[in-house]
Amino acid sequence: MSTATTTSSTGTGTGSDPGARRARALDAARAVVASHPPTSTPRRAFLEACFDAGLAWVHFPEGLGGLGAEPGVQAAVDEILQGAGGPIPFWLNPMGYGMAAPTVLDHGSAELSERLLRPLYVCDELWCQLFSEPGAGSDLAGLATRAEKVGDEWVVSGQKVWTSSAHLARWALLLARTDPDQPKHRGLTYFVLDMHGPGVEVRPLRQMTGEAEFNEVHLTEARIPDSHRLGEVGEGWRVAMTTLMNERSAIGGGSSVRGSGSIGSALRLWRSRPDLHTPELRARLVELFARADAARLTGDRFRIEQGDRPAGAEGSIGKLTGAELNQEVYEFCLDVLGPDAALYSGYGPPDETDETDETGGPGGPGGEPVEDYGRLFLRSRANTIEGGTSEVLRNILGERLLGLPGDVRVDTGKPWREVPRG
Amino acid sequence: MEFTWTSEHRDLRVAVRRLMTTRAPVDRARALAADGVRHDTELWATMAEQLGLQALDVPEEHGGVGGSLVDVAVVLEEMGAVLHGGPFLSTAVLAVEVLRELAPVADAAGDLLGRIAEGGATVAVALAEDGRAWSPGTVRTTATGPTSDGAVRLTGTKQLVLDGADADLLLVLARTDAGARWCLVDGTADGVTRERQEGLDLTRPSATVRLADAPGQVLGDLDGVAVADRVRSVASVLLAAEQVGAAAEVVRRTAEHATTRRQFGRPVGSFQGVKHRLADMAVRVEMARSAAYWAAFQERGSADLELGALVARSYCSDALLQTAKDCIQLHGGIGFTWEHDAHLFLRRARLDATLLGDTRHARERLLAHTHPDLQGVS
Repeated sequence: MSTATTTSSTGTGTGSDPGARRARALDAARAVVASHPPTSTPRRAFLEACFDAGLAWVHFPEGLGGLGAEPGVQAAVDEILQGAGGPIPFWLNPMGYGMAAPTVLDHGSAELSERLLRPLYVCDELWCQLFSEPGAGSDLAGLATRAEKVGDEWVVSGQKVWTSSAHLARWALLLARTDPDQPKHRGLTYFVLDMHGPGVEVRPLRQMTGEAEFNEVHLTEARIPDSHRLGEVGEGWRVAMTTLMNERSAIGGGSSVRGSGSIGSALRLWRSRPDLHTPELRARLVELFARADAARLTGDRFRIEQGDRPAGAEGSIGKLTGAELNQEVYEFCLDVLGPDAALYSGYGPPDETDETDETGGPGGPGGEPVEDYGRLFLRSRANTIEGGTSEVLRNILGERLLGLPGDVRVDTGKPWREVPRG
Repeated sequence: MEFTWTSEHRDLRVAVRRLMTTRAPVDRARALAADGVRHDTELWATMAEQLGLQALDVPEEHGGVGGSLVDVAVVLEEMGAVLHGGPFLSTAVLAVEVLRELAPVADAAGDLLGRIAEGGATVAVALAEDGRAWSPGTVRTTATGPTSDGAVRLTGTKQLVLDGADADLLLVLARTDAGARWCLVDGTADGVTRERQEGLDLTRPSATVRLADAPGQVLGDLDGVAVADRVRSVASVLLAAEQVGAAAEVVRRTAEHATTRRQFGRPVGSFQGVKHRLADMAVRVEMARSAAYWAAFQERGSADLELGALVARSYCSDALLQTAKDCIQLHGGIGFTWEHDAHLFLRRARLDATLLGDTRHARERLLAHTHPDLQGVS
């Protein structure tokens, strides 16, 4: 992995000044929109044109989807591309666009970047993330999937869980244990795994809503060439942390809309069922509305105050408040519905056309569309678990934002092998 | 754009914080309350002479500096952190806001703005009556016989008048034959009786003001209720900023306690039961800060300001109250003592919840404002 640190994700451009690089990127975006109008061009052809023009990640090197521009230029480029009707790449291939691409570029070989980035961006190859395990949720660094070096390959065995898109993905970001005798954070290594290779079995994981958004992935002596290692052996945790920071900046985005999201869903229900209004429910609704608005404004404020700086611990506030609000809002919705909340829209296979979480309900008394509140209620239970439990987030806020002392830990410095698990 | 902080905002914050923490720390508020002296006249003079704080919200044409609402919010936030209870809120916020409305139609209002701007007068706003609520539509105090020069005689009782016992002048909302009007009354005039109220909040003094055929002056011919409504929006935003300052200070003090106080051989803040409650307190403060300052960044008189004011009023008051309660809990026994400051913050939070029309009414109006079609509840 001699090239791992020589390929930087910034500043490898033309040597011109930042203003010129910005102007060049914006010109390129306008040219792509003109030559490949996104509304009349097949999606793949449009994405290919964007990649080849260096607009996929403008701060990447030329030839690898970038122009060596400053990362902040991407927002202006996206405004041109998406303003003309272009797709939002993050949502087409979230693990690929937001997490895999910057990690491969920063920690993989030049050959690996050349092989992987273009198919990733044009969505020929989707990506997934193999981090969580049945025995490693909040304590991710305690994971047990083993990777052992045999010749020029790594042989991997273990089980991963809560993997979105595993059944669709060609590649996975994999975190595995390469040295069980080191303390947990130091024995991990980061890999790119071929999901189509032998020894990889994907099983859908049915969740409490009845659907299967996620998968279990069983690895039985799956093989990874050493050239697919990202970062040094034993450096997996550090690489994973940079991946997660990249994910945050990829999601970024613009200002939010008042009364959107789950509270908007509740307001639509309230409006559609005046027959169910009571003063008690009204008081709850307005309390939730004020709270949702304060949370929304906090997200806006942090984005503006933060600018180009990396997110701090306060970034956990949005996740924490959003998750708990969602739960309360959908609980409120079921309370509004009263006895109607006793019904569920169905346990059959999910409707393939239903890509949003805001359709498919049984309809209001006038036949108007009403959202699937029972499903939303159940789904929201995961909000305070997925992507960092509320308990872990409160620890982060307490320790990093307020400077409170950490909890007493029993695993610090101990070889992973000796730490009790289960 | 919202949340865009300038170096002027930062400089103002630093200057006000320095003044308040040196000259008006919470200990000082406590001492003033204990001595029955409610107004630190030297501090008031310093505010005007060194920082020009009383002039911030006064338009330039009336001798002020015409600062933005954000500037004033920054000042209030720093005052909240030390539980300042001096006449700033009553004079430089409430009275100034009323007078700004009246100045186009009443020269006396403009003149008084100039006196306030230079730190020369304190003015209390007397609106609430028996129910102690900010309910401008129901005032029963009368102002009779306006003469050609606007002279009236006022009779009635005003409650919960902030700084009412000490202010030089009183702005009284009263009923005339033409409707509700704002009247100016000299605090020492014949027929004016002022009694300090024994308040739940020890650090923000209020008074009962009785008017018995007291002489006053009508300030112009504007609908006093509409003026009061507009004033309430702006004042709600600024009060919310003050609450943010108090709540942030509560969190700071509680986190410090949790870091230094040891039980079972460990700082209590290392226990998740304590840590998680503190994290929630911090989240609440950040959400309150966002709500208060988003509103402060809106244009005066705009629908966005009114909406922002309702959100801020609905959220920030409860946020401070809950934070103050959590502070006492996390301090344990010491937090229940008279000597500890925790109860002073709780008292302030409780008083604030009743000012400017209480938070329950703000919520009622919030839903009606955002979604007029959602009002219909039998």
